Amino acid sequence: MQKILIVEDDEKLRDELEIFLNNNGYKAESLKKFNNTIQDIIDIKPDLILLDINLPGADGQYICKEIRKISQLPIIVVTSRDNDIDELLSINYGADHYVTKPFNIQILLAKISSLLRRTTLGTNNEKIDAKEFILNISKSTIERENKEIELTKNEIKILLHLLERRNNIVSREEIMDYLWESNSFIDDNTLTVNITRLRNKLQELDLKELLETKRGQGYILK
Amino acid sequence: MKFSSFLKDKILQIALIIFGILTIEVFLVPYPYGKFIKIYIPIVILTLYSISILIEYFIKARYYSHIYYLLNELDNKYLITEVIKNANFIEGKILKDILEETDKSMLENVNQYKYSQEDYKEYIEMWIHEIKTPIATSKMIIENNKSEITKSIDEELNKIDNYIEQALYYARSNTVEKDYYIKKNNLKDIVNEVIRKNRAVLITEKVSVNTHDLEMEVNTDSKWIVFILNQIIQNSIKYMKNNNLDQINIYAKQGKENITLYIEDNGIGIKEGEINRVFEKGFTGTNGRISSKKSTGIGLYICKKLCDKLGIAIELNSTQDKGTQVILRFPNDSYIDMK
Repeated sequence: MQKILIVEDDEKLRDELEIFLNNNGYKAESLKKFNNTIQDIIDIKPDLILLDINLPGADGQYICKEIRKISQLPIIVVTSRDNDIDELLSINYGADHYVTKPFNIQILLAKISSLLRRTTLGTNNEKIDAKEFILNISKSTIERENKEIELTKNEIKILLHLLERRNNIVSREEIMDYLWESNSFIDDNTLTVNITRLRNKLQELDLKELLETKRGQGYILK
Repeated sequence: MKFSSFLKDKILQIALIIFGILTIEVFLVPYPYGKFIKIYIPIVILTLYSISILIEYFIKARYYSHIYYLLNELDNKYLITEVIKNANFIEGKILKDILEETDKSMLENVNQYKYSQEDYKEYIEMWIHEIKTPIATSKMIIENNKSEITKSIDEELNKIDNYIEQALYYARSNTVEKDYYIKKNNLKDIVNEVIRKNRAVLITEKVSVNTHDLEMEVNTDSKWIVFILNQIIQNSIKYMKNNNLDQINIYAKQGKENITLYIEDNGIGIKEGEINRVFEKGFTGTNGRISSKKSTGIGLYICKKLCDKLGIAIELNSTQDKGTQVILRFPNDSYIDMK
């Protein structure tokens, strides 16, 4: 399990973040004291850190700069300082992302997982083995027994999300929310069309029964 | 300076001189001097006096008309003290002295307000940064305890966050000092961010959002422009017809001198007579008085102020019952007039 270190001086926020990250498949830890922050970070050896800027002792930007001198560890700056200059400074000091409070937790989660994916795999192209089929994200295709079918951008996003929540009912709103998050601002009708097409493509691979409609509730990938 | 009013000022002198001449003439009556002397004396006195008065008039008239001329030319009239020349007559010197004194005291007075305003702005900024952490924490608590109730609290938190944002930018829009940072930004990224911000409402209200032709670079402050667009889109959402046919279209056109961004909706629109007042502070109009809308009349006012600072032209067109179109024109040139 990947370890995320929370460097944040607000106790309550830090605790809630810890709970949330632990619930979402990460091992979260947080610093309680800030008198030796840089050394503490190095000792804990996290896979990623969430770093506040306003901290007692050394401030976040300084910490970021110092960490970068010795490590390529992914850093997401989480701060209430909402201006371009601080953002630029943080990025220049080597932060990978700059997120302002109050942050959208789903976006933060997406940023964490993409950063970790990049650092652990080294690349962005990947294949997901879903047992019955293989989802090839880099080629935007779905494969089964030498058969390969191309998917559109939206279709692959929908399938990916259903796959992440496999065996759970996913509501239409949730799928739309997920798509909007990644800048596909589709409406209700488009979603229906996309789902129908996706189902047809699954049928071509004889996998029609995998995607089920739960009337009034949403969809489920079995 | 009119000659007649100048003479009016000298009326006492002139009267006394004439009186003096008359008394001299009266004294001279019993003496047997020739007519020549009796005429010569008043003529000499009058001529010499007239010459001196004329010279004085020309010197003063030139000096004061120059001041008036400068006053006309100056954008900031209070700078007049800095540009007027030293006078070579006493009233001119006194005038300049007085102006310098008042200027100094006025400057102190103005500075006092400037500092107290800066101070206030700094306090507001600090307060806003402080309050963002409790909001973030509340949102995390909600995320960890999902229910219908917390979802509803979350919606209220979003409203609070929007009002806070408005307060922050209101404070920023009022300062003389420049606290924005202009750099190249991709228009599409900016627009996408704003739509993502509002996606919860847009999805539940089933608004269809269409964006196209946004792959362009604009020179602006990304945070400020996101705030501006956010206000515009929130207005669109607020004044929708809610008939399941609601639409928002966002697209841009590359022109010779500027990039024009269009934000269009098919909402309830604005009454014709009220359109040119929408950027006024506190103007709510007929729409704003619909009880459910709760307009504050501040959003577009701040937008306009921020746009002015960033050198963006903002326009609004609307047809009642048809919809509203907001146009933002970004200067193409990398040079932006820093006000």
